[in-house]
Amino acid sequence: MTAITLDFHSVVDLTDEQFSKLCQTNPDIKLERTAKGELIVMPPTGWGTGNRNGRLTQQLFNWADADSTGIAFDSSTGFKLPNGADRSPDAAWVRQERIDALNPDPDKFLPLAPDFVVELMSATDNLKTTQAKMQEYRDNGVRLGWLIDPKTQQVEIYRQGQDVEVVRMLEASAKPSPSTLSGEDVLPEFVLVLKDIF
Amino acid sequence: MTAIALDLTSVVDLTDEQFSKLCQTNPDIKLERTAKGELIVMPPTGGETGDRNSEINFQLRAWNKQNLLGKVFDSSTGFKLPNGADRSPDASWVKLERWQALTPAQRQKFPPLAPDFVVELRSASDEIKPLQNKMQEYRDNGVRLGWLIDPQNQQVEIYRQGQDVEVVRMLEASAKRSPSTLSGEDVLPGFVLNLQDIC
Repeated sequence: MTAITLDFHSVVDLTDEQFSKLCQTNPDIKLERTAKGELIVMPPTGWGTGNRNGRLTQQLFNWADADSTGIAFDSSTGFKLPNGADRSPDAAWVRQERIDALNPDPDKFLPLAPDFVVELMSATDNLKTTQAKMQEYRDNGVRLGWLIDPKTQQVEIYRQGQDVEVVRMLEASAKPSPSTLSGEDVLPEFVLVLKDIF
Repeated sequence: MTAIALDLTSVVDLTDEQFSKLCQTNPDIKLERTAKGELIVMPPTGGETGDRNSEINFQLRAWNKQNLLGKVFDSSTGFKLPNGADRSPDASWVKLERWQALTPAQRQKFPPLAPDFVVELRSASDEIKPLQNKMQEYRDNGVRLGWLIDPQNQQVEIYRQGQDVEVVRMLEASAKRSPSTLSGEDVLPGFVLNLQDIC
């Protein structure tokens, strides 16, 4: 569903504790915060997006369990990015040693940019806004990011120091094998099967 | 579009000035506040709802121009209701004497009163229950006549003081030769809303 940006900081600057409390008292709403302090309010998704997101999370978690070099996170997880923004990617993964180095409080938002993030577009999401979010992830150090858009059957791949690569899945699905995405050197041997996500 | 209720009260109690400032700095978003202090966030409406809403305001304003009995307010206007809620009906009307009784400062801000007449127009993604609760809140706060217009189901709920809600089905009315209309009753004397371009 449509995300709404609410410019809050002209009225009150929420502390990290207040923002966290706000998230807790509004469990049905997904909240993010931009680096400028704007509040992003997202209503619950439709069931189609919820199911796709679950399948994506399922595949990532299965790989992460077998791989055991890092921790995977679902869409309810908040990350405090280096630029100050609070973001919740639809799925994310972080190398274990980065978490061990921080020894973070598990009840708080993780104060880092994940190594890997996925954003899954729903029919009413704005592409431009989601692209800006992906660029912010990259600028904050995310090594691999996938913007998956089932409507246009395409994926944008964000990598450090490179232009965005756009992969059209229609071409791939014309082949007998299902379309897949590689986790590259960030998620070694991870292959996301897009069959039930597109 | 879907309205989202955000419970801010655990974190911050916005003063009236802060709420007003929040509305000003977010002009593209319609904001309301419940009596309990929850923030209601509404994205801009779709084109179809905007067109219907504009038609309602146009007809109400045309009637008011001839009678000059009160003031018409569009959906961007906030009212501070007696129970403390800040609400923005899709169209509303306040009797001239009540408007004139307000100080210039009160008129400048969200008028601290319940309108005499309000309209809420349901859009395709609006849930009916929160709108019905809103209409009941208007009535409880003194609104004399309220219309909840539901083009999706071709029906209108009419809210009056001290009476049960009357549900009027527009399909039946439109089966007749004459276009379906709603009467402004004794609150808006002589006003007849033509629903042809709305429902």
